[in-house]
Amino acid sequence: MEHPRQDTQPPFIYLNNAATTWPKPAEVLWEVADCLRLPLHEPGRTTGTGSQDYLSAAREALAGFFHAGPPEHFVFTQNATDSLNLLIHGFAKKTGTPFHAITTELEHNSVLRPLTALKQDGVITLSVVPFRDTTVSLAAIKKAICPETRLVVMTHGSNVLGSVQDIRPIAEYLHANNIFFIVDGAQTAGHIPIDLSDIPVGAFVFTGHKALFSIPGIGGFFIADPDTVAVTRQGGTGTDSKTLAHPSEMPMRFEAGTHNYPGIASLYAGIRFIRKTGQDTLEKKTMDLTRTFIRELIQIPGITIYNENPGLPVVSFNIAGIDNHEAGFILARAYHIIMRTGLHCAPLVHNRIDDGKGCVRASFSYFTTGEECRAATDAIREVAESADR
Amino acid sequence: MRSARWQRVRIVKSVQTKVCVDGSLMKEYVLDEPLTEGFLKFLEYFGTVRSPDNLKKPYFSFEKELFISIRGFTGDCCVEVRYKKEFQDLVADYFHLLLFYEREGERGISQLKGIEESIRGKMKVRLGHSQENGS
Repeated sequence: MEHPRQDTQPPFIYLNNAATTWPKPAEVLWEVADCLRLPLHEPGRTTGTGSQDYLSAAREALAGFFHAGPPEHFVFTQNATDSLNLLIHGFAKKTGTPFHAITTELEHNSVLRPLTALKQDGVITLSVVPFRDTTVSLAAIKKAICPETRLVVMTHGSNVLGSVQDIRPIAEYLHANNIFFIVDGAQTAGHIPIDLSDIPVGAFVFTGHKALFSIPGIGGFFIADPDTVAVTRQGGTGTDSKTLAHPSEMPMRFEAGTHNYPGIASLYAGIRFIRKTGQDTLEKKTMDLTRTFIRELIQIPGITIYNENPGLPVVSFNIAGIDNHEAGFILARAYHIIMRTGLHCAPLVHNRIDDGKGCVRASFSYFTTGEECRAATDAIREVAESADR
Repeated sequence: MRSARWQRVRIVKSVQTKVCVDGSLMKEYVLDEPLTEGFLKFLEYFGTVRSPDNLKKPYFSFEKELFISIRGFTGDCCVEVRYKKEFQDLVADYFHLLLFYEREGERGISQLKGIEESIRGKMKVRLGHSQENGS
């Protein structure tokens, strides 16, 4: 079988890959099927050894992919939101006393809402650093730091503006100043090379279902020093079961209950697919599509593009005289082109770029074709021409 | 056999529900018959209908302040209805009423206008109450 599109492609164009990539590589789907074909290999829980130890294999794949280790410091969660909740609330619990935290206007609600909850509970004071053009600089972060600052949570790539943040100098500065730095890599993991051996983050968050090509429901984080974050979940780990206190060893310290084996198998296969195809090849293809799309879009009267030079395959725009939801509705129902409309769970970005009204977002994957991009821009042109201006 | 007058479009099912950014409640319905040009003409008595040319499919939108908005395509059985935030309980049946009275012709228009006046009356009472409470 080639990739699954050839025999199962429904009649639509999917440009919502920043939310969830589709289609998935065939080998990812095969791995999920393989994983479920035999009883799960759960170390400590099962005596059988018939199937692959996906937990160890995936952790090792992640450690190699992100150049960080040991593999046990990669923790599996449901998704990036789950990871961020564990890390943010766990760090606050560990710190114990009220402190100051910093985040940015570029963030997704997966960052903003846990921090806001802590703020409402009086656990933290919060500074939200503005972005300039499409990025947040070290200088802007430094300006927000005060003696009580203990935590900075920041996106690596904006899901609206597609801008990649230069996190290395920020990580180095925060590390030197003993401020815990959580990087949300939901949009960048898989899209661009990430070498954590060179970036001293406190924790790096990823999700599987986007550019790592896995199925929804699997994500995780890398944590440099597990002692910086308190455990907020306890339960069965298959180890040290006589002890009622949750184990402190990694990775079970942060993992309770049965794992999402199909998800982990798909993550393992997704990383293998990226390595086999070549991350440069993937990045070149998606960014070529992105640039072509932008070039075409710029020619259309009445289009406002909010990120003409993104670092990720994400293009956000509005059509004059037509509400973004309406544009998305027409594109989906009349032209069978699926994009994302609205605030993309990043309300503060939209307050800056479109008065909080939201926009249409097209996002591309390795499996998007040039023909699909052209069909999409042709459709957008027709919708723009029909709008009242 | 039912007379044509009673062959009204019916909602088969609601396939999606979502609360929108502006607080309105969006519901997507599947109808047992496609929407027609006649329905659009009927809508024009009750609000603003927009139906731009040059699109691949005949799109229309309907806007009625404080009540509902509708998006869809004539010839399609799927339609998206947004119930405005302020008086969701009062306008919850309004789309059903539009479908019901469409096939009634002139009589349907005047009957629905009457119902609409009654709803507006309730809205005014509620607005009056909220203003009194606010003062």
